[in-house]
Amino acid sequence: MASNCEVEPGAAPESALVTTDSYENFQQMSSSLEEIKNSNFTSSTQDEFLDNCNNIDSDLHVNCSTVSVSSQDEDYIRDEEWLGKSKHIFVLSSAGKPIYSRYGNEDRFASYFGIMQALVSFVQADDDSIRSMHAGDTKFVFLFREPLILVAVSKTEECTSQLTAQLNYVFNQIASMLTLSRLVKIYEQRRNYDLRRLLTGVERLIDHLLDFSEQEPAFTLGAVQCLPLTSSVRDAISSAIVQSCSKIKNLVFGILLANNQLITLVRMKKYCIHPHDLHLIFNLVQASESLKTAEIWTPLCLPRFDASGFLYGHVSYLAEDCQACLLLLTVERDAFFSLSEAKQRIVERLRRGNCLEAINESLNTKEETCVDIGFPELRHYLYKCKSTAQFHQPSMGAPYTINCKRLLDLYRRAHYRLHCPTRPLKLLFERTSEDALLAWDTRGFELYAILEPLTDTGNAIATVGRLLNWIKKREDKLFQLNAPTF
Amino acid sequence: MTTNKIEVELKNFFIFNSSWDSKEGEEYKKVLYYYPPTDEINTQVNNVGLVEAIIKFTGNFKPNAPVNSLHTQKKRQLYYQPEENYWMVMTLNLPHVAKSRNGSTVNEYLEEDVHDTVYEAVLKQAYLMYRLFAGTFCSTEKKSDVSHLRNKLEHFFSAYLKTLKLTHCDILNVFAGIHFLPLDKQNFLNVQCFINSLECNYPMIRYVSFLFNDSLIWSGIEPNDMQIIYQYLIGTLLPAHMETELQGGSIPRNPLSPFASLHYGRFITGPSNLKTAGSVGKIPKIFLNNETNPSVFYFIVYRALSSTVCLFIDGETDLSLHLFKELDEFMGPKLSSIASDIAEYCTKHITSTNTPDGAPRFIYFNKLNLAYKSTVHLDNRQTGNVACNKESIKVMADMNAKRALMGHAGETIVKTMNDYWIVGKISNLREFYIAIQQKNASLIDISDEVKKICDTELKGIFFHPM
Repeated sequence: MASNCEVEPGAAPESALVTTDSYENFQQMSSSLEEIKNSNFTSSTQDEFLDNCNNIDSDLHVNCSTVSVSSQDEDYIRDEEWLGKSKHIFVLSSAGKPIYSRYGNEDRFASYFGIMQALVSFVQADDDSIRSMHAGDTKFVFLFREPLILVAVSKTEECTSQLTAQLNYVFNQIASMLTLSRLVKIYEQRRNYDLRRLLTGVERLIDHLLDFSEQEPAFTLGAVQCLPLTSSVRDAISSAIVQSCSKIKNLVFGILLANNQLITLVRMKKYCIHPHDLHLIFNLVQASESLKTAEIWTPLCLPRFDASGFLYGHVSYLAEDCQACLLLLTVERDAFFSLSEAKQRIVERLRRGNCLEAINESLNTKEETCVDIGFPELRHYLYKCKSTAQFHQPSMGAPYTINCKRLLDLYRRAHYRLHCPTRPLKLLFERTSEDALLAWDTRGFELYAILEPLTDTGNAIATVGRLLNWIKKREDKLFQLNAPTF
Repeated sequence: MTTNKIEVELKNFFIFNSSWDSKEGEEYKKVLYYYPPTDEINTQVNNVGLVEAIIKFTGNFKPNAPVNSLHTQKKRQLYYQPEENYWMVMTLNLPHVAKSRNGSTVNEYLEEDVHDTVYEAVLKQAYLMYRLFAGTFCSTEKKSDVSHLRNKLEHFFSAYLKTLKLTHCDILNVFAGIHFLPLDKQNFLNVQCFINSLECNYPMIRYVSFLFNDSLIWSGIEPNDMQIIYQYLIGTLLPAHMETELQGGSIPRNPLSPFASLHYGRFITGPSNLKTAGSVGKIPKIFLNNETNPSVFYFIVYRALSSTVCLFIDGETDLSLHLFKELDEFMGPKLSSIASDIAEYCTKHITSTNTPDGAPRFIYFNKLNLAYKSTVHLDNRQTGNVACNKESIKVMADMNAKRALMGHAGETIVKTMNDYWIVGKISNLREFYIAIQQKNASLIDISDEVKKICDTELKGIFFHPM
């Protein structure tokens, strides 16, 4: 098996994405907006966040109408449908104020939020912090990230650290709308603040994020999938973006995506984007129908990039006849018009170069299943290239077209076992009466292959070896191998 | 960077009854037992309060079982509700490594090193052991009163908690299995005859169990009861007895004529020296059949050479010194000769467990008959005396904890970061784990090796889907 290690499909010396392990410290940031602004000698070095925060002061009304703990609580406690949900997510302030509940109106079980807050603070008083509680099939996972408390109540197979990761995504989703600095500031000034006032519309994004992260292996892997395109087309698209934006200062990222897949990512020199932040961007695009008809200018904080401030994003679909979404992210808060013009130039260039057709063609082509590509014993696989944080998967084939939840559960379980913090594994081969799984973690890549249940180790190894060669031959189509810069 | 590992340790252990709706200021009355006694009443009440809040909160979401554990950054708390409204709680300080970086010391807590499954089993066993000697909480409370229950708990657990070897708890605690001795027909029949004649001649003897060294040969009581008695014999009673034998040897010697049959027997519970004993002394009583028809028995253990016989005598019987003398005369010579025959058989037929260093090591457990076998552990005393690295044993416990996800049958092969291989096979209620230390082996080599081990060690035991 060792001989195959040389083949590392999709590996590239430079990556536009921060490469990462999934169970790392979620709070670490990779960059600093200040640095970008300062290095480019722009005028707007004012600390706009303090401004922002000062502005909040004025719209902070006394909004602490105490939520009455009434008998209405009982409705939910007895509601079979509510109780039967496989995963509840709750967000509350460290003072116990309800902020978000995935299901149901959070005011109606405010007492639960009070108990959750009490549990967190009781354990904290002992100079400790609560992580999780386990009761039969149900896990209660807590994440305390100042100034919020996030709780998952889950009957799914996901393990504690995967649920914690999901809670972190929810926290980051909230932070991306407000910036972390502002969030902290709000609660410093008013411990009882009702954050829901500032989060109208964000609830929908969180709802979508939760569904999205449960359905997409990208979240488990901490990677993104690329839209298959020949490298010449992808390079042409990248250079169209670079050329059209050549005169625009302080543009940090240009991202083109379609159907939850990355087409290209152009970046400012020295700066990378974290896959987690990219997932939030994917979520924003997917959850916002309104983007399809309009150009939008929105402040957006990328918490893993710099949680203290906003980037400003020009977001729009390329054209009515091409459903790819373009995001141009800058540190300038008043660059809408120059970016809007740049977008027009990009579309013209792409049209001239027939790139729109190429994108459409790829979007319309049904992806091949493992059987289609000549691997009958292979049912499905995930291949992640570690150096670029990109992954590839084939189209879902039988029997997982019906039960894709099982497939995702298998992947999540295998991923955790390979990355378990105290006992990581290099290799995992598991056979049950339903399927066989080979998971392999090397320095360059991770591979998770689901095989027919009666596959023996010899055949599994041979299949995986062939698969790696197959991916290697198509790597320039399946992955973005360069990391273009403005 | 220097590292210094602190092992897992007991922080507290308490038992309370959640149904007593105590008035404010009287919450301490709920607490039936609390260790360490040095914790102030206030702390005790707070700790019980937190547990009650957790029980209630988690119950709201209708889990399919009551709450069993709480994980925090530094601690682990385990819950067990053995009888309605009675809760046992054990809190552990997680093992941690003090890492000094740039002058400041940071404690890194090893959450994954402590398996819920293992310590839940430890907590459950604590209850079963108590119940064996003292009966259920509920019956004590009904028969006398709460203060009597408090005294019994205090008396039992203050001693029992000292015997816990938390650092060395592992997957074997989860199994709490019994080691059986496979015997040939003749020896097995000899044991059978011996037991039958005992039961016929002394009708007050309701059940008999027979062990050779640490292995069970025959048991007349329910498997659940035997399981806990086996743990008590192997873990506590027999090792303590060996100690006294080694230190001053009170082995009765019978300098009779060389033609008389040999007699090496003596009572371990009951009068140890029949010649000098004035009365029968204190005979331990135990509670059997707790789940169906709880009843009390005298628990008498008699040993000759390496054989141990447990006699379960009806609790109503009036025990006399005369009876012990008679039993001794009846059992002594027979047992001595059976024991030496079995010993002879074992040296001839049972291959020694001295597998060479580095050879594959395995653990087998069958839930149906509670049989286990381990070549990973070098003794049955839970002293941490193991033949493969601890990480491998932890990986086995990982596999065991997740076995429900495998369905009724499955096989897992993993390679750790240190290039150890661990294999787990599950088939219905049988589990088989192997640790292989072959650094340069491939996955195919390992699966071949596993086939070989299964052929030699598990002859005739069918492992689906192999």
